[in-house]
Amino acid sequence: MLQKIKHVYETKYKLLMIIPLLLLILSLVQIGVQYATTGDFVNKGISLKGGSTITITKDLSISPLEVEQSLQQQFPSAGITVRTFSSAGRVTGIAIDSALQDSAEISTLTKALSEQFMLEKTDYSIEVVGSSLGTNFFKQMVIALVFSFLLMGVMVILYFRVFITSLMVILAAFCDIVITLAVFNLTGMKLHPAGIAALLMMIGYSVDGEVIISSRLIKRQDGTELERIYGALRTGWTMTQTTLMAVIVALIFVQSEIVKQIMLILLIGLIVDIIVTWIQNVGILRWHLERKRAKHLKQ
Amino acid sequence: MNKIKQIFMNWRVILLLIFLLFSYFSINGGFFPQFWNDGVAIRSVGVNSTASRAGIENPSPASTPLEKERILSLNGETIHSVEDYYSFAEHLKANRTVTLETNENIYSLRTAKDENGAVDLGLKVYAAPTSNLRKGLDLEGGTRVLLTPAEPISDEDLESTIGNLRERLNVYGLSDIVVRAASDLSGTDFILIEIAGVTEDEIKELLAKQGKFEAKVGNETVFFGGEKDVTYVCRSADCSGIDPQVGCSTHSEGAACGFFFSITLSPEAAERQAQVTNQLTVTSEQGGDYLSEDLVLFLDDVEVDRLRIGASLKGSATTSVQISGAGIGPTQEQALTAALQNMKKLQTIMITGSLPVKLDIVKLDTISPSLGKVFLRNVMLVGLLALTAVSGVVLVRYRKIVVIFPMVLVMLSELVLIMGFAALVGWNLDLASIAGLIVVVGTGMNHFIIITDETLRKEAVTLDWKSRIKNALFIIMGAYVINLGSLIPLFWAGAGLLKGFALTTIIGMSVGVLIARPAYAAIIEILLKE
Repeated sequence: MLQKIKHVYETKYKLLMIIPLLLLILSLVQIGVQYATTGDFVNKGISLKGGSTITITKDLSISPLEVEQSLQQQFPSAGITVRTFSSAGRVTGIAIDSALQDSAEISTLTKALSEQFMLEKTDYSIEVVGSSLGTNFFKQMVIALVFSFLLMGVMVILYFRVFITSLMVILAAFCDIVITLAVFNLTGMKLHPAGIAALLMMIGYSVDGEVIISSRLIKRQDGTELERIYGALRTGWTMTQTTLMAVIVALIFVQSEIVKQIMLILLIGLIVDIIVTWIQNVGILRWHLERKRAKHLKQ
Repeated sequence: MNKIKQIFMNWRVILLLIFLLFSYFSINGGFFPQFWNDGVAIRSVGVNSTASRAGIENPSPASTPLEKERILSLNGETIHSVEDYYSFAEHLKANRTVTLETNENIYSLRTAKDENGAVDLGLKVYAAPTSNLRKGLDLEGGTRVLLTPAEPISDEDLESTIGNLRERLNVYGLSDIVVRAASDLSGTDFILIEIAGVTEDEIKELLAKQGKFEAKVGNETVFFGGEKDVTYVCRSADCSGIDPQVGCSTHSEGAACGFFFSITLSPEAAERQAQVTNQLTVTSEQGGDYLSEDLVLFLDDVEVDRLRIGASLKGSATTSVQISGAGIGPTQEQALTAALQNMKKLQTIMITGSLPVKLDIVKLDTISPSLGKVFLRNVMLVGLLALTAVSGVVLVRYRKIVVIFPMVLVMLSELVLIMGFAALVGWNLDLASIAGLIVVVGTGMNHFIIITDETLRKEAVTLDWKSRIKNALFIIMGAYVINLGSLIPLFWAGAGLLKGFALTTIIGMSVGVLIARPAYAAIIEILLKE
């Protein structure tokens, strides 16, 4: 079985590239549907959409559902939802999302909460975001990403002096981000600005893998092409394993909801990146080498 | 033994050690670590407060955390914690002498009632720092406000707005604050304000106020808020506070309290007032003779109060004016607090004048200090667990314990280098920089593996050690420059909220790639060379 897979991987690399391509198309469809139905590429959280979040990490000895119902009764027009977050399977706090942006309205809400649950001022955190910032922030990130991709492309050309690697790195970063975003959308979670940072962090991780195969396949001459691929694969797999391990540990034990989202996105991204790097990137480079050899033979 | 000697003779390792030493000095502010510091440090001193009259100075914003003045004892009672300080301060009585000993001086404070009728030393304190690392708001708790001008403004106006906001916060006794401009890719200006510790709601409210104060008689403006027209604003108990003549009143809907404070006008403003009042007629009413128009006070175009002008003031260039207003609330106690808060806001605006432009709050975060503490502890625990798990993976992969030690040690030294740099330039460690640290540690781990694999892999046996290391560093360098390219645009995106992330990642990767990771390569070479 393993031999068979290995054989397919070694000989049918062009055909295999359909997998990442298909994933990319499906992801674009998902994001398109998301946009058509909700008006946004992604399920935006309060900090990207506008509104407020009150975070309490004190044992309220009451179920979050009851809190939600009681608050919805008191503030029917505020659009209140209550979430819990947990670490190592234990509930460590609740977060109350609402559409409120006005400071006076929010302080009535916190006052009601404080009286109901005997909270001190230091027991809760509040995050209020105006709706203009959210929309703007998202637009800005897209522009920043375009610049990031262009600059990365320039750096790759300067470093490797091969055009195809530059194309490969940009394409890989694009696929990583789009596919990860689509999978994230499917989880139904709401995106926080830190999640956007996580999408950018993935670029950092995936670049390491891309540089390894580029330098081993294009710059080196030791061993056969396949030997070099497997060498790079081994190194890359060790890197992915260590990062996966760290991410999973953090996902289980971290309390901060924001860091948890970073870790979840990294986890999705790492898995996506395995496919992108070892099928798409290797495929592109082998294709390139094959064409170069063919050209060489003709001459 | 010989190998260990070789390691410490290697110039790459020596370079790393020198930088580690620098970082150590920068974090500890000297040779001796201060981890056992207890007591409280002074964050800020209120203007005209008991403490400032005794000669205690506001810490300079440029001072490092360890340079902050620390309170050692109050009346001979040792102060170990913030709770100690506040339980002492709670029982203060007026007109007593308090001896306050700090690490720099011994002060003698004479307590007095302030405008609210409370006895307060006017100090804001926090647990004494044990290193020069500045914990950002996400770790220490505090308030972060992101403001944007309602209309485009010039750079000079932005500067003067920032100066004015800083001054307003200083009036409230806050000096340990960050007020800086930020902009995004589309050229929108933002002002980012960070205030550590618990912040009163009234301060947040004040920040977004344009604070255009006008006093009008009829349609004529006689004076504006700000030092040009108002040369002095009284804030002591003898000429400000709850108006004894008005006091508080309760009625069916709630209670109302009146406040007053006196100000001194500049001669020009007094002259203007004289000219305007000279044209008014005197009307007789019950209780006395008044001028035909009232002095109406406006704050941001909303009427604050309306004062009758005594007939005797007609045409006189008086420089002393009494400002009054009111606060309302459901109970008398709340009305009293509201009146005093309104008074303080108005006083602040009279002192600092108006902002060149109206500001909108686009983001306002209040982070509880206890949450920050829990967060930091949790993140450190998770870091430790992740490190252990990752070491396990590496051990299984290489089956050589000799690889693990330098890997973990060099990774920790990368963190120390970043911290050292952060302490040196005084940047705040917050959530964004923690996200940056995660990237640095993650890519660091990748690079250790690349170095190890490049030197150990089968295909490399034919190569000499020099080219193996060269190959490894070529890959790492490549990954580094490409990452730089992807991070630089983030500096300008999203109102500067991602700047901390980009900065930490760039600095961290730079010290990693240029200093720490080459040292790891050297150590691995020495340890694994036959």
